[in-house]
Amino acid sequence: MASRPGDSVDLLAAGLGPRAVRDQFAREVSDDAILVRAAQEGDRAAFGRLYERYARMVHGVLLAKVPVSAVDDLLQDVFLRALRRLSTLRESGSFGAWLVTIARNLANDYHRRALPEEPLADDAPDSHLPDHDLGGGDPRAEHSGAKYGTAEHAASAAAILDAIRSLPDAYRETLILRLVEGLTGPEIAARTGLTHGSVRVNLHRGMEQLRAKLRPPASGGQLEQEMR
Amino acid sequence: MDPTNNKTDNEPLANRNDYLWDGSGVPDPEIRKLEALLRGFRHDRPAPVFPDIVPSRRWSFFPWRVRLFPVLSATAAVLFAIAAIIFLTHGTKPSPVAMAGWDVSRMAGTPRIGSTTVRANELPSRLGVGQVLETDDQSRASLRSEGIGQIEMEPSSRLRLLTMGKGLKRIALDRGTIHAFIWAPPGQFVVDTPSAMTVDLGCAYTLQVDDSGSGLVRTSLGWVGFKLHGHESFIPAGAACATRPKVGPGTPYFEDASAEFRAALKRFDFEDSTPQQRAADLVITLAQSRTGDALTLWHLLARVDDVQRALVYDRLSQIAPPPVGVTREGILGLDQPMLDLWWNALGFDDISVWRHWERSWSGTNTPDDK
Repeated sequence: MASRPGDSVDLLAAGLGPRAVRDQFAREVSDDAILVRAAQEGDRAAFGRLYERYARMVHGVLLAKVPVSAVDDLLQDVFLRALRRLSTLRESGSFGAWLVTIARNLANDYHRRALPEEPLADDAPDSHLPDHDLGGGDPRAEHSGAKYGTAEHAASAAAILDAIRSLPDAYRETLILRLVEGLTGPEIAARTGLTHGSVRVNLHRGMEQLRAKLRPPASGGQLEQEMR
Repeated sequence: MDPTNNKTDNEPLANRNDYLWDGSGVPDPEIRKLEALLRGFRHDRPAPVFPDIVPSRRWSFFPWRVRLFPVLSATAAVLFAIAAIIFLTHGTKPSPVAMAGWDVSRMAGTPRIGSTTVRANELPSRLGVGQVLETDDQSRASLRSEGIGQIEMEPSSRLRLLTMGKGLKRIALDRGTIHAFIWAPPGQFVVDTPSAMTVDLGCAYTLQVDDSGSGLVRTSLGWVGFKLHGHESFIPAGAACATRPKVGPGTPYFEDASAEFRAALKRFDFEDSTPQQRAADLVITLAQSRTGDALTLWHLLARVDDVQRALVYDRLSQIAPPPVGVTREGILGLDQPMLDLWWNALGFDDISVWRHWERSWSGTNTPDDK
């Protein structure tokens, strides 16, 4: 596989040799291709493996665009749609990028259906997160999709998520995949089809913008205190 | 600081662990905090039970697709035939990008390139070599070529693009009026008219051709050469020159010359009059000439007989004395270097530009040669 832009920079940071990086990426693509072909032949377990591999990525992509309460349903829709259309996927090695496209389209459809437009910030602390402890199985906490020990934590998390979702598209998706879903930069690149260089730039610039948003104008507020 | 690595250059290479990038190295406390706060949103649900997957089959095993193949083939063939017909039918439609030529824009009405109307609010159409651009009595058009210049075409005009080579860029104005502003190197842009060839020598000018083929050029900037066979006129800014079919360019004159001067000159140039009448018109012309009319008198030197040439020389010497190196005998003998020397002393452009053009394009046909 040819080296892609950004690979040399990635190698310095990751401490990997070019061969290791390329081999890892090639293995993932090759595995995807095998699983996709198996699924196309009716192997449901293979599709389950693909789900395990890509569910977090799709979840992150959706979380960047739709309210938390809608993410799980849409996640299932994405994979069901992918399953139904799997036979149309010609490049089995680009399953991840294909899945991302389906996820973005469904997220867009969600907003079109939700007219008058449902505000994305339904996860904001004022509207959904009560002041008391959400840790005791509060249904509203379950609805939000987040599990927190205290209301303050939940409010801070929702506020940070909203701050990320106010960033430009490329930054918000990449940051959510990294900070929420716990994917590393190389994993994000491998799954979304972006170059390592693009992912790195998105992460860095997105993080800078997020820091600026979280920085209080004068004295630290609750969010800033939470960050300390 | 490397904007893509989020590390300072002072850090040793071994410590360049990018926690944000891949979670390796010394954790960034701020990012760790964000991760801890946001982890609650992470996907952690088990895979749902997916429905059975209908195995995809190779299309060649689908009988209905096999049956569909001839239908698709026939459809493709029909579409191809339609595309070919459209291409052949409209193959001469001016294309905005495909061929070398002038970009044509509509200024008013419905100018046409061949049978195709140049419409408003469209990308400029392209006038290719061999194509004709026409305006009716309500239409105006603008032509532009980045390497040559810009032309505005008045109503009731007809223009053809003859060549677009590296050397001469040549159009023909069959009738009507164009205003040309040319930035191509002098001598490269040529307009054929039915009665003369107009050679741009670095200028802006207006060229009119009527239905009889007679023409008039009026120069507003720089100068223009008018040529038919060996008959040539140079028209500097502020001057005009008429042409007639079979006769060629007349004698140029400044438009602020007296009416008597211009009328006598017109009769002298174009009327089928007796030698006596011509001599009388020449006398009027000389008598009415001012200092600024040296342009006209210099041209007359080569258009009169020997006797008349002496008269012209004497008058021209009075209003614009010949420079050193120019003698009466030389001028009366039509010595070309002396004529050129005197022209250059009149304060117009250097005639060597024209001579160079003539040497370069000596084989260029004039309208009567075709």
